[in-house]
Amino acid sequence: MISTIQRIKSPENPKRLLSLLPILGRHLLVVGMMVATTGILFVFRSSMNTSTVALLYLLPVLLCTMLWGLSAGLAAGLLAFLTFNYFFIQPYYTFKVNHTQDITALVIFFLVAVLISQLVGRAKRNLTEAKAREQELSSLYGISSSLAGVNDQVEIANLIATQVRDIFQAQGVEIEVWPVMDEQSLSVLVPQERGSLAGDPAYVIPLETSRGVCGEIRLWRQIPSASATEKRMLEAIAAQGALALERAALTRAETRAEVLEESDRMKSVLLSSVSHELRTPLSIIKASATSLLSAEVEWDTEARLDLLNALDEEADHLNQLVGNLLDMSRIEAGALEPNRQWNLLSEIVSVALERMKRALERYRVEVDISEELPFIPVDFMQMERVFINLISNSTKYAPRGTTICIKAWVHDRESLLVQLTNQSPPVPEEHLDSIFEKFHRVTDADRVSGTGLGLSICKGIIEAHGGRIWAENLAGGFAFNLQIPLTWNGRPASIVEAENG
Amino acid sequence: MKKESSILVIDDEPQILRALKTILTAKRFQVSTASTGEEGLAIAAGTQPDVIILDLGLPDISGIEVCAHLREWSQVPIIVLSVRDEEKDKVRALDEGADDYLVKPFGIEELLARIRVALRHSAQVKGTSEPVVHAGDLEIDLARRVVRRKGEEVKLTATEFNLLAYLASNAGRVLTHRNLLEKVWGIEYIENVEYLRVFMSQLRKKLEQDPRQPRHLLSDPGVGYRFSSDD
Repeated sequence: MISTIQRIKSPENPKRLLSLLPILGRHLLVVGMMVATTGILFVFRSSMNTSTVALLYLLPVLLCTMLWGLSAGLAAGLLAFLTFNYFFIQPYYTFKVNHTQDITALVIFFLVAVLISQLVGRAKRNLTEAKAREQELSSLYGISSSLAGVNDQVEIANLIATQVRDIFQAQGVEIEVWPVMDEQSLSVLVPQERGSLAGDPAYVIPLETSRGVCGEIRLWRQIPSASATEKRMLEAIAAQGALALERAALTRAETRAEVLEESDRMKSVLLSSVSHELRTPLSIIKASATSLLSAEVEWDTEARLDLLNALDEEADHLNQLVGNLLDMSRIEAGALEPNRQWNLLSEIVSVALERMKRALERYRVEVDISEELPFIPVDFMQMERVFINLISNSTKYAPRGTTICIKAWVHDRESLLVQLTNQSPPVPEEHLDSIFEKFHRVTDADRVSGTGLGLSICKGIIEAHGGRIWAENLAGGFAFNLQIPLTWNGRPASIVEAENG
Repeated sequence: MKKESSILVIDDEPQILRALKTILTAKRFQVSTASTGEEGLAIAAGTQPDVIILDLGLPDISGIEVCAHLREWSQVPIIVLSVRDEEKDKVRALDEGADDYLVKPFGIEELLARIRVALRHSAQVKGTSEPVVHAGDLEIDLARRVVRRKGEEVKLTATEFNLLAYLASNAGRVLTHRNLLEKVWGIEYIENVEYLRVFMSQLRKKLEQDPRQPRHLLSDPGVGYRFSSDD
């Protein structure tokens, strides 16, 4: 399954030699230990018989195997066999052996030494392997648990790339994911700069899912060859990664389907709400126009004027409805791009108030917005619409003759706060957030006119500007709060000095 | 009695053409109509109308292009008609040389007011402009660079006066941000809308009865500013 592409490397002899050094050192230590043992035993040679010496010789052999592995153990066994023979079996200082009994002892000694070192060596190797396996398993477990619950492709790719880099001590890891369904392809690189990753990657591992190969992991590192364990690990990680990516794609597809379904439902609600709303002004227009056209009735001047005013007002009403629909569809399509300019809030609010003059005749309006406030980077017309919608909402719910108040102040270096308060009845706390949702109405639809789009448009516009809108109940009233950014591309407005004079 | 002014209406909606023709004829204008940009350009060249009313959303060439073509040979006042989702086009048309704009749907009084301003302005371009502009209790003497409010002189800085003078000599017409910035500050300042905001706010403080509800120095959201000499 793993296709590895070996990087072509020039042979590096000095490195080879370096890696031999520890082996040489180990065997020198073995020799050292055997010399020391022989020295100690030699001192007590007269007081010990050969079988005791043989048993004692087994100790360093055992020790060497445990400390430095099988080959060191075997070397120690061989050395022990030779020195035992040379120093402790008569005749001394030759390798000759006189008694057959001694020959048997020597052979058995040698066999025991070899057997012990093999047994101990194997146990040691098993232990090392078990530890490596455990390490491997825990790494894999770590990866799989960190991938669980992540549904973002980029995040998954990043997680895998980082893990692979850490486990394999790689210089760099790149993960490329090709589009499986209708999402976009992506590429993740750890570290983020390609700088040091010259040439082809050392390994390329495909990410395979049930739908076929969906991408690959590319790995750059100094050590050119990978051990069997490492290959197995890479394979396992690639399989897990592919699985996680596939799962993420499926989850997203499912979410998309749900969103589509929901948006379909919303569209039907919108259509029915809109048709209902359009019918009212249309009925009035139709009734007024046909009345004026009618040859049967003679209208006096005042009645004529009433009918004509109704025509005019309802046409405006229709226009506003259509405007709201247009805004809503732009917000829905994510096409509401604010045409930002540095603006003065005081100017925007005064234009909005002028526009809403007719509706505000029955209210007291207080405005406390200093012209000294810093400029805000906003779309004048969109912000004007926000205030028109908020004022329009206030005039629908606040009793006539009450006060509508707009004030603003600098919140911090980053933002301005605007508060519009009115004296409408409180909204139940659980509805405070949902009033900004489409078609949400706290009161009965028949009592208050409108499509239920006004506040959701405000929210859409404010959020497109990077701001925030929320509502709260006050003692004796209700407030809309807006947080509007003061910076544009991270920079605040320059200060324009008016001339003196 | 002076000669009737002629108006060319270019719009692709037959209902709009019908309504405007009826209304404007009743208001004693000579009205010709065109339903495409090319046709409009041909009629404009043939009949030399006094005012052109131009819809921005035409089926063949865009209203902005019609504006640009007209401006190659004619200074005829152009009033563009736009709808709400053409906000950027509207400003572009004005920067291309259109004189004013109206957003559909509009009241006919508004249209007539725009036509009157356009006719007055083209008369001024041909003849000499009035040296003193009166607007409510304001009196702006363009030649002597003096502004009086209720008979008392108001001190303005040089830039404030230049801005006011440019707006007042185009009374009734919308002037785009770019246009104002270029004429008053210079071409290198056309992006610095914040200059305009500050100086307009200064002018309002000095000249308006209630700076929060200006009567003469009006904001045209998203487009520019307009000086109104009505009281």
